[in-house]
Amino acid sequence: RGPAGRGMAAAAFERRVVRRAAEHHYLRVRLELPDGGARPNAAQFKQLVVTALRELHGEVGAALPVDILTYEEKTLSAILRVISSGLVKLWSALTLLGFYQNRRCAFRVLQTSPFLLALSGNSRELVLD
Amino acid sequence: QNILTVCFSVGYSAVALNHVIDFKEKKQEIIKPVSPSELFPSLPIVQGTSKRIKVLTRLTLVVSDPSHCNLLRSTSANIRLYDIIAVFPKTEKLFHIACTTLDVDLVCINVTEKLPFYFRRPPVNMAIDRGIYFELLYTPAIKDSTMRRYTISNAISLMQICKGKVSSQSENKPLELRGPYDVANLGLLFGLSESEAKAAVSTNCRATMLHGETRKSACGVVYTVKKPRKVEEEETAVPACKKAKTQV
Repeated sequence: RGPAGRGMAAAAFERRVVRRAAEHHYLRVRLELPDGGARPNAAQFKQLVVTALRELHGEVGAALPVDILTYEEKTLSAILRVISSGLVKLWSALTLLGFYQNRRCAFRVLQTSPFLLALSGNSRELVLD
Repeated sequence: QNILTVCFSVGYSAVALNHVIDFKEKKQEIIKPVSPSELFPSLPIVQGTSKRIKVLTRLTLVVSDPSHCNLLRSTSANIRLYDIIAVFPKTEKLFHIACTTLDVDLVCINVTEKLPFYFRRPPVNMAIDRGIYFELLYTPAIKDSTMRRYTISNAISLMQICKGKVSSQSENKPLELRGPYDVANLGLLFGLSESEAKAAVSTNCRATMLHGETRKSACGVVYTVKKPRKVEEEETAVPACKKAKTQV
């Protein structure tokens, strides 16, 4: 508990320490579709992710709980959330996906972290003066 | 040049341009490698650091006959211009020769077909002792589901035998390239542990580059022998002081 100074309101701090591994992992991904065709909307994007999981890991993989937290259709980038035990499956499924509706595509995983806040800053975009 | 730009944007810090020579066709000569400075007047900087990206040149020899290996021993000047030399053996005998006596840095393993030979432990262990790494292509796994099965099954059998001394390789088109962490994750699929998977993309590749450099530069060995000192000298000798550790 912080000390109460003269004339200042008492500041109360509470510290929580969690020793468990994080429950969810967050991934920021971008889909690259070089040909200028129709872009998928959010539902089609989710369908694409589930298809990728099914192609590599079968029905069990397709049943993995994956959520799309945000999706931007203009840049085709999204933030996905997955259970920590399923991170390897999801990441490998996205890596090995080659086609979207018979068009060549590629998934680029930009950032991954067990904390959502960590996805807001990307140290690789920093430039040295 | 397009592929290189994608490589750099994805986050690799060193890229090797591959030139494949297949000996089945007649009259193959080894040409001079394309110099990287012709492609990029100034190389871009690696993401997140201040060093420039390294572009190396690499030669892959597809050998299906023992006579093709004579090329490696010849003193052709062009072969020395390549930084890394890899060999792609097609038969079991050649695999044995490549692991034990040939002067190469990498042995490529074909993953798209059922291998015509099984890996045996003795030549693989000798190759690891000599510092040679094995290499897998991961691009077929992206294209086709049958290829994917073959790639994964061949990769798993390779991992079991060679204890994880593996590096990875990509192919031609820029869309088929995957970032370094993605490839390290694929290593987890193939049965490597997490540290081995990351090493497959970083440490093992760097070791291969150094192996190539030492292969190019080593010409002879200098052997120093300590002369035995007389007893009186030893009593007056100053005790040896610790030298600072030199970084190689």
